[in-house]
Amino acid sequence: MRRNISVIIIVVAAIAMMLIVGKHLARESRRGSDALSGAPAVGAAAPAFELTALDGKNMRLQDFRGKAVLLNFWATWCEPCKIEMPWFVELQKEYGPQGLQVIGVAMDDSGKSQIEKFAQQIGVNYPVLLGTESVGEAYGGVEGLPTTFYLDREGKVVARVIGLTGRDEIENNVKKGLNQGHVAQGPK
Amino acid sequence: MSHWQVDKNCWKLAVTVCWLASVVAAEQFSKLPQGLVSVAPTPTTGVIRGRVSRVELHFRVASGFHINSHTPNSKVLIPTTLKLDPPTDIAMGQVRYPKGTDISVPFAKGEKLNVYSGDFEIVAAVRPLRTVVPGEYQIRGALRYQACDNRACYPPKQVPLQFLVRVNKKTSVGVRKNRQSPHVHH
Repeated sequence: MRRNISVIIIVVAAIAMMLIVGKHLARESRRGSDALSGAPAVGAAAPAFELTALDGKNMRLQDFRGKAVLLNFWATWCEPCKIEMPWFVELQKEYGPQGLQVIGVAMDDSGKSQIEKFAQQIGVNYPVLLGTESVGEAYGGVEGLPTTFYLDREGKVVARVIGLTGRDEIENNVKKGLNQGHVAQGPK
Repeated sequence: MSHWQVDKNCWKLAVTVCWLASVVAAEQFSKLPQGLVSVAPTPTTGVIRGRVSRVELHFRVASGFHINSHTPNSKVLIPTTLKLDPPTDIAMGQVRYPKGTDISVPFAKGEKLNVYSGDFEIVAAVRPLRTVVPGEYQIRGALRYQACDNRACYPPKQVPLQFLVRVNKKTSVGVRKNRQSPHVHH
């Protein structure tokens, strides 16, 4: 009888524990942390890609080897993206001479002209590429925007962030990228 | 039955219950991040030939998220829109969207966003033509929305929906009030 009671207690405790763990995981997932599963991990090489820029030229990520790259996935319908982009403009000006290259990847379906207009309004001073589903997939699906990857000079991920963060955190991640990896030759 | 056998059966039961609980929990919780907007089942609505009737559609935005209203405060934001695809001989009239709520979010520096959050209702006008054969007709459609939370925004999505209208010849048919029932996630 006593053993039966202990079995029941174990079962109830196991169920309670699973529910708590499940709920916690669900909450975390909804915050977007799971949205980065499948994305290149910190320390891993950023997936290579070739995308078309607003000026019609094709650009490859490898073209920026030797530079620290701030790779920002954004969209015109993304309000928090509008907050970050002026900071990226400032950081490009400030850290560009030290080897920072900001790259924007527009992930929305609106036409090129709308993206261009939006970028002009913000005063973007870095290349904006037209994103594709396959590139988005290679970076974990980029479901939540903005999603930003910080790469070192060797093209390895030093940080990845979903959603809006403070300017200080962005700047710290930029510095991490600049300080890690060997200084190789600049863009071809 | 010996004590040993009873214990063995109890442990078997315990393992089975644990396994079932984990399956159910996984099933339930895995659904949560998928659909940020759900639609409640819409009961069949009685409508009269040649007259306009209104169908209430009930939606729920997942807790912690908001979606742009039908009239967001910025042209670049994607408005919530309902598209319905009625069968021939049933015309759709005006769709009435609720007023959104103006909110301030940390990322919109002083700018107010007009959004829906929690439960909201959209009313669609349905008018069967005078010539339509009485009976039940299915109307399909989708709600297009674009959701955000306090830090990030998510790509525009659609919630498919469908409801039945029962076309009657004459009056004496009232429009049934929709119940707020469990929402279906998509």
